[in-house]
Amino acid sequence: MTLSIFDVFIKYYPLFLKGLVGTLKYAAIAVFFGSILGSLISLLNIAKNTVLNTIGNVYVTVLRGTPLLVQMYIAYYFLPMAIPALNALNKETCVIISLILNSSAYVAEIIRGGISSVDIGQMEAARSLGMSYRHAMVKVILPQAIRAILPSLANEYIAMIKETSLAGTFMLYELMYTRTLLANKYLIWQPLFIIAFIYLVVTVFLSMLVKLLEKRLAVSERA
Amino acid sequence: MKEHDKEVLIKVEDLHKSFGELEVLKGIDEEIARGEVVSIIGPSGGGKSTFLRCLNLLEVPEQGSVIFEGEDITRLSKGKDLDLIRQRIGMVFQQFNVFPHLTVLDNITLTPMLEKKLSRKEAEEKAYALLEQVGLIDKADEYPSRLSGGQKQRLAIVRAMAMDPDVMLFDEPTSALDPEMVKGVLNVIRDLALSGMTCVIVTHEMGFAKSISDRVLFIDDGVVIEEGAPEEVFENPKSERLQAFLNEVL
Repeated sequence: MTLSIFDVFIKYYPLFLKGLVGTLKYAAIAVFFGSILGSLISLLNIAKNTVLNTIGNVYVTVLRGTPLLVQMYIAYYFLPMAIPALNALNKETCVIISLILNSSAYVAEIIRGGISSVDIGQMEAARSLGMSYRHAMVKVILPQAIRAILPSLANEYIAMIKETSLAGTFMLYELMYTRTLLANKYLIWQPLFIIAFIYLVVTVFLSMLVKLLEKRLAVSERA
Repeated sequence: MKEHDKEVLIKVEDLHKSFGELEVLKGIDEEIARGEVVSIIGPSGGGKSTFLRCLNLLEVPEQGSVIFEGEDITRLSKGKDLDLIRQRIGMVFQQFNVFPHLTVLDNITLTPMLEKKLSRKEAEEKAYALLEQVGLIDKADEYPSRLSGGQKQRLAIVRAMAMDPDVMLFDEPTSALDPEMVKGVLNVIRDLALSGMTCVIVTHEMGFAKSISDRVLFIDDGVVIEEGAPEEVFENPKSERLQAFLNEVL
């Protein structure tokens, strides 16, 4: 007898819920620490030093130019070998690290984009008043850049929710991992549709929140 | 305003500036005295804005020097020293460049509080006095998006004035304004000039340049082609290029 999608969901919903919690958690960890690391990387990118710029550029280019799945495999197998201290860490942590690194590259790019979206005249005005570069950045440029950065960061979180589905490959308990669990019970196709539906509901809902955020930022700009 | 003493405030020597292959300034020597009002006229792309922007090192010249109050500022290391110099050189831009995320009042008080360590009370008292002068006192708590172009430019002028500069540089201050806003902004600049402030004004407003200036420079093709008292420059131009330019714009 074949169970319907609905039957499978009713029967196994705690597994899916646990998976969803895992997905949201891993995405949050990736974007939170990715934002911290990405901010530091973006400092390299905007520094007036060619060596630092190059390091930042290479970092961002490599992490954005290679598939996350490849990065995860490398993190999973080679990170513990390359960095002995990581030997003490479990495999799960290595996969999470690769999520964080990947996210940090995108966040660095978001911050760079946000800063360059601010009119050059703002920096010139601040500096011509005799403001230091640091003050001009902190008091004039960043408060304006943040309007562009915040919605993009939220979108990065939504993107990460989908990206974390790859972590199931490494036995991390997130939404996609429920597929593996239920496949062991010979449930092949029903879980896939349930999983797809849950991703869709979550990303559409969060996208609506981002739209609201953008609207509010636009209003406060006009006010 | 014409009986200013002859103390040289800004001295420019052999100024050269290129953008890539394009040589924009081809050797300018100039002296601006304290209290003097100098207008710079000339065709677009002739180098007048670049010249002005070299005076506070927004553009860094490749060759030559800018001596401000006796100090060669092209030799200063970028950083604190240059910031201190720039605090004494106010600048007003064509596109206003007011800070959109700050109220009118905060636009004015931000830099004095940050860089001159004025208390909020001191900075605000000064800001209110300046806003009163330019008729923006009732806008103090508004954001710039609620201001007209003319009001934004007047805000930009008092924002620069709040640093107590020794000279004010104006880079085509009325070129981005609707025609009906121009007069109000020019009146503010005129009041400043009459109060004895040294002003260097890049402008296309020939009538204004003629009536307000102690001296007019005609810059084209990266050099000062002709200069002199406004009557001479406008009534009796000597070079062909200035004659052609004036025919074009008057």
